[in-house]
Amino acid sequence: MRRRASGLLAALLLACSNNPYPDADADRKILYTNYREAPRTLDPAVAYTTSAHAITGNVYDTLLEYHYLKRPYELVPGLAEEIPRAEPRPGGRVAYRFRLRPGLLFQDDPSFALGGEGRSTREILAADVAFELMRIADPAVNSPVIEPFSNLLGFRDFTGALAARREADPDFAARPVREQYAELGGIEGVRVLAERELEVVLAAPYPQILYWFAMPFTTPVPWEAVQYYDGQEGREHFGDHPVGSGPFQLVEYNKQASMILDANPNWYGVRHPEWRAPGATYPTEGEASDAERGLLDPALVGQPLPFLERIEFRREKESIPSFNKFLQGYYDAAGIIRESFDKVVREDRLSPEMAELDVRLEKSVIPAVYYLGFNMEDATVGAPGGERARTLRQAMSLVIEVDEWLRLFANGRGVPAESPLPPGLFGYDEDYRNPYRRVDLERARALLAEAGYPNGIDPETGKPLRLTFDTPDTSAQGKLRFEFYVNAWRRIGLDVEIRATNYNQFQEKVRNGAYQIFQWGWVADYPDPENFFFLLWSEMARSKNQGPNTANFSNPRFDELFLSMKSMESDAERLAIIREMRGILEEERPWIELFHPEDYALYHGWLRGVKPAGISNPTAKYRDLDPDLRSSRREAWNEPVLWPLAVLIVLSVAITVPGVITFFRERQ
Amino acid sequence: MLAYVLRRMGYGVVVVLGVLLFLFVLFFTVASPDDVARRALGEKALPEVIEQWKANHGYDRPLWPWQDFDDNMLFEHYRRMLTFDFGRSDADDVLIIERLRQGAGPSLALTIPLFVVGITLGIVLSLFVAFFRETYIDRTGVFLCVLGMSLSILLYIVGAQYLIAKLLRWFPISGFDSDPAVIGRFLALPLVVGIASGVGGDVRFYRTVFIEETGRDYVRTARAKGAGEIRVMVHHVLRNALIPILTRVVLAIPFLFMGSLLLESFFGIPGLGAITVDAINGNDFSTLRTMVFIGALLFVMGQIATDVSYALVDPRVRLE
Repeated sequence: MRRRASGLLAALLLACSNNPYPDADADRKILYTNYREAPRTLDPAVAYTTSAHAITGNVYDTLLEYHYLKRPYELVPGLAEEIPRAEPRPGGRVAYRFRLRPGLLFQDDPSFALGGEGRSTREILAADVAFELMRIADPAVNSPVIEPFSNLLGFRDFTGALAARREADPDFAARPVREQYAELGGIEGVRVLAERELEVVLAAPYPQILYWFAMPFTTPVPWEAVQYYDGQEGREHFGDHPVGSGPFQLVEYNKQASMILDANPNWYGVRHPEWRAPGATYPTEGEASDAERGLLDPALVGQPLPFLERIEFRREKESIPSFNKFLQGYYDAAGIIRESFDKVVREDRLSPEMAELDVRLEKSVIPAVYYLGFNMEDATVGAPGGERARTLRQAMSLVIEVDEWLRLFANGRGVPAESPLPPGLFGYDEDYRNPYRRVDLERARALLAEAGYPNGIDPETGKPLRLTFDTPDTSAQGKLRFEFYVNAWRRIGLDVEIRATNYNQFQEKVRNGAYQIFQWGWVADYPDPENFFFLLWSEMARSKNQGPNTANFSNPRFDELFLSMKSMESDAERLAIIREMRGILEEERPWIELFHPEDYALYHGWLRGVKPAGISNPTAKYRDLDPDLRSSRREAWNEPVLWPLAVLIVLSVAITVPGVITFFRERQ
Repeated sequence: MLAYVLRRMGYGVVVVLGVLLFLFVLFFTVASPDDVARRALGEKALPEVIEQWKANHGYDRPLWPWQDFDDNMLFEHYRRMLTFDFGRSDADDVLIIERLRQGAGPSLALTIPLFVVGITLGIVLSLFVAFFRETYIDRTGVFLCVLGMSLSILLYIVGAQYLIAKLLRWFPISGFDSDPAVIGRFLALPLVVGIASGVGGDVRFYRTVFIEETGRDYVRTARAKGAGEIRVMVHHVLRNALIPILTRVVLAIPFLFMGSLLLESFFGIPGLGAITVDAINGNDFSTLRTMVFIGALLFVMGQIATDVSYALVDPRVRLE
């Protein structure tokens, strides 16, 4: 009996462990990371969020990719043998020819049986890339990137023809999409020249198209998977069951709890390490600071990828438990939560406690911009208000102190923005200071008087000029942030009202043009200034084409400059044009540029080869870790403290026993 | 008895149908199907994609029977719910029934032990303090119960995560894995929290019931006949106190299936409670409607089961 009791106690003590993973996994090269919300879809033609790209970017390989270490960003060949050159064609068209590597295979999947009994994979062909481009054009797929691909010859025609034919002919609409695409003859500007050769023809020069071939949107997709995973008869949707060509494959997908990627044995890097392909070998060179950051460690350089055998994404809805698990060694990397920021970072450096844990801090500016925008079609603040409205915008721009905003709301994580272009992009000028982005109350007041609002008073009403700030963020935290701007404007006498509504009502207001000031942000799709300036191109105006130019900015000279810089090589001439565009924005003030966000990430000492990417692209294959070091540190950090349990038991007994004894004694 | 049960079931059906009508009005008139579709597909979705999405989810018909008697959303809503054909999630198109099936396991893995251990511990502790009534053990017990009841469960959760998981490192802070090797680790902390936060109320309630029973004549008779104290408490008092205990217990059974909203959410257990919270946060109206409907159904069933169980345990109660 006593032996059984002590056995039970021993079992209980053994069960006492805060390790959330099976003990058997301790010495495996498994990267542990987490996510808050599962991606809505993993369909590469649709998925456009960072959380989705964390999966699709690693599962779906692309024809081209970014050099892992070099900055400014540089393209290298991925599934393609080399980076294609622009070939001019008659009529101002431009063609690019991609040649796929030989013998590439998709990951194993039961859907390939559709192409032949007993098949579990097949070779990746140029037609699979063409198929994916047609899926982007397919209105039923609802791809968010139809716009940039519209530069492909005949792209919009294909979209229109597909929609019209489906509408007119229900039998056609019921057939598998591959047959539908084939019957319409595909997209005119996408030609399969040979099994492994694809040509894309653009109606006009658009050199940025190559960047799109480094994003999962253009990955080869097997028609078998799209046809098989149709959501019918208990089969999954294709958006929940990726079948890719990348270094990893999704082996478990439980949106509520965990997502697991395993190394894909069919990947070309695993099957052909002797190719030493740039996308399958750890780079041998990088930025100047990379050696010092340990990114050119001889243990990594030139090694075949991937290093990891598995990546486990665990769901963490709350940030505090997730950060605590990082501190216990159960996550390999973490962001810094607001609650712990001051404990982790001191004077912009890692705190001694963190340094003691051998944690590294990596800072990187995200190629993004946050800004306050004016609705340029509004009578008071926009273009119809003419010179007066411009001066008003200039005055309003002169009072927003972004350093203070960053300190209050982002722990200082961000670089004040002087123009839309973030650091690291061609055209970014470190020395440029926007004269309207200094805080200068005197000048702001003078400009306001010049605009006809002395001390902010609207002469028509005799009261402070009333403006509205429209936002879909109704949270208390959001309100505090917006109050910051409102208070700044109040200092020059303006009365700005925050109108926070739900998302649908906000969209309704934007659709109807019933807004004056708003806050917005943009994260680069690819590292080119065109991807920022197009946000202010009149063709992209929200009111006109439902585009991302929510400020509805329209300036003929800006448009002209944009159209000429858009397709240029990045040279001195382009730089001069960018400067002129920047000058127009400086004076016109459709935006009050706020900041470029900065990412602070923490990594444990056992994780190697980590460089923050900025541009959303797959980097897991370059990461390596030392499971033995991790195991030993986890053990040292997580020894259970059991004495309080004993104290608790002794205390309970000590309190109860005298009472029991007295009770029975009195009874007798 | 049968007539009574049938009558109660009739009332139950009326309540469930009423809840369904209420749900319909609330969900379809407040947010139009177009809004729901735009939320799911994004602002830039083309009109034909939105139409297709609405058709896939059955939101493309008129709302009310007087608009189209043969094909309207109200009747369709009733048909679907009453046949348990819940359709697909508004947020990510997953079959809701599939999601319920996935969530039921983790929920039951937490709620069943919580229920069994909670009741057992509640009864044992309350018998113990009732036995020592009017001594300092009783008073300390009641004080601790009231103290325990006064604290919010959120405080228990955060406190336990900090103290037991972070400082003492006994169990993982949060998470779930159905692997038998580690499932116990993940359930331990939510169990401790669930029991600690609930046991105070239970003990106080059962103690009152037991003390009331111990004052009755049959207890004095039992003692007079020479029955020992433990025999009196367990054989006589506990048996006779079963009715109020049953009310509390049987009513709780159906909700075992619904999971625990807060515990699952904070401890990252992918059960039905967490699914409900996610549906609220993600504007997933179809999943939310399903969860509310199931909740109502289980509540009504629980009520009927409680009444029936009275008659079964107490021959004095007649259901008519």
